[in-house]
Amino acid sequence: MFKGMPKIFWAGTGLMYFWVFLFMILEMTIPGLPLKKVFGIPACYLYNWLFGLWIINIIISFLFFWSEEKREEKLEQEGGEI
Amino acid sequence: MSVNPIVLLGALAYFLVIFYIGWTSRKASLDAADFYVAGRKVGPFVNGSALAATYFSPASFLGLPAFIFLLGYPFWWALVGIIGGMPIATLLTAAPLRKYEPTSFTDYYADRYETRWMRLWAAIPTVIGGFAYVILSIVGTALFLLCILKVNFTISVILASVIIFAYIYYGGMVATTLSTAFQGIAMTVGSLVATVYVISHYGGLNGLTDAVLANSPTFFNMPYVSEKASHPLMSTWTGVVGFFFVWHFGFSAMPYTVVRFFTTQDIKSARRSVFWAVLIGGAMYGGLVIIGTGTKVLIEQLHPLMQTEGINSAMGLLKHMKTAYGVAGASVTDYSMIAANEALNSPFLLAVIAAGGLAIAMATAAGWTMVLNVVLGRDLIGKVFGSTWPEKKPVQCTRCMTIFIIFVCALLSFKPPALVLDISGAAFIVILCSVGPPLILGLWWERGTTIAAALNIIVMTACSTGSWMYAKYHLGSYHWFFLSDPANKLSTPHQFYWVFIGFFFYIGVSLITPRNSEEAIQKYVRDLRPRQPKSEQI
Repeated sequence: MFKGMPKIFWAGTGLMYFWVFLFMILEMTIPGLPLKKVFGIPACYLYNWLFGLWIINIIISFLFFWSEEKREEKLEQEGGEI
Repeated sequence: MSVNPIVLLGALAYFLVIFYIGWTSRKASLDAADFYVAGRKVGPFVNGSALAATYFSPASFLGLPAFIFLLGYPFWWALVGIIGGMPIATLLTAAPLRKYEPTSFTDYYADRYETRWMRLWAAIPTVIGGFAYVILSIVGTALFLLCILKVNFTISVILASVIIFAYIYYGGMVATTLSTAFQGIAMTVGSLVATVYVISHYGGLNGLTDAVLANSPTFFNMPYVSEKASHPLMSTWTGVVGFFFVWHFGFSAMPYTVVRFFTTQDIKSARRSVFWAVLIGGAMYGGLVIIGTGTKVLIEQLHPLMQTEGINSAMGLLKHMKTAYGVAGASVTDYSMIAANEALNSPFLLAVIAAGGLAIAMATAAGWTMVLNVVLGRDLIGKVFGSTWPEKKPVQCTRCMTIFIIFVCALLSFKPPALVLDISGAAFIVILCSVGPPLILGLWWERGTTIAAALNIIVMTACSTGSWMYAKYHLGSYHWFFLSDPANKLSTPHQFYWVFIGFFFYIGVSLITPRNSEEAIQKYVRDLRPRQPKSEQI
């Protein structure tokens, strides 16, 4: 199952789930975590709104297409089929 | 409240752009390949923007802020789940499906599982989900038309149906891809402009948070660490995690997004288009989080109708809209997002939001109607039942299907069965648990079998729809576990667990049933995998 799936897929997907479930668990164990101030604003705006919702996913989707294009470049250099 | 000329002008400007795009691209939809898959010549940015606009529907634009308004901060995680599921599609389905180059969503099922009847099985949940989505798109368009024109909801639904019908009837995939790409930008701009208004009104994120807490002290409460949950559905981890997963895998397996991978120039564009969709869609979702968070406090502090006609709460205002404009069913709560923007008392903002809302609703209606057109016409009438009509006259056949779909959905939109986000959630779970495993595991697992695929679609469609309706009528909400004791209910949003059960069911049945032919496995599994450079092979 999932034979041939690029390693970057597992790394990217793992990063996304790690981030989400780490902060979900922390929120359900540390009272008031979403409202604790980090850099002067409630923490949830950073780990959920900014990073969880947007930045991490942009990074992951960039890595996914970038690493695949690198793999295809190598294949082309070797004269193989993509 | 009367019609504001600036809001009306904003909507007219939006329609002018859409009709301009439709007019200039009309000659591009003359043959079947162009009509169905845009001639496979769409670049990554245009396709990414179109992907975002198609995938995100009024369920996002109206429904997500409404659910944040109802359920509080824990629902933010549902939005993280939706965007977080998008990058996964890049390598899981977008790349292999683009490599395979199908025309329709059901092509893969018929080819991989070696029977044309798989088209019929795959069509069942797709048609259920598709009709649900066209209905919610008509309702969404109608709510925005109500906001612009201040006319009765029934008239808004008729107008919305006519507009959507004309848009798709004369479009096809080329026109809808180009105009949908524009709509992706329009909806994101609308959401971001509203966000700037909300944040600046309260003087920053701290000011907004303080205002929300003063208005709803339990808004940011998470389960187990607060005396009172933000909402009963969010009082256990199953509620928070459940909402995270309801829409999470949709980008990888929902037919209306999967078909957009078929329209790209090449496999490279298919992967890059996901990046653009995440960038554009993520920005819009960031805006929706802020709008949803501020909805209640904005309406109660600033809406022009507050304190008039005995209205003294946000829910009271929505009830007033229901009676004043005849908004039917539960969908009046969906108006909360528009009401929050009305509260900011800026015609410019409302014009941008209305244009963005119309954009997202029309784009989704077009995307789903195109999927249903192809499934009902080309796939079922043509490939399954052997008629040559869809092959000989594809445009005529597709247009007849469009008339049928929009007519049926318009009739069902006059009294929507649920909130738009609830209609969306139900459609997602039915499709993801039934056709999701045979698609994803069919691509990545040689052992997946025809019997497992067919049984999975039939059993999971029945289980998910049955448990969803049972929960609604037995426990009062689709979000409680359908076998719960009414005195001690467990939150399992939209019976989301069926998605995971579907994967295990498919694997289990595959292991005890005969494999597909070596030829099919080679062509539709092994050949679709990415090739590794010799230097990296073990």
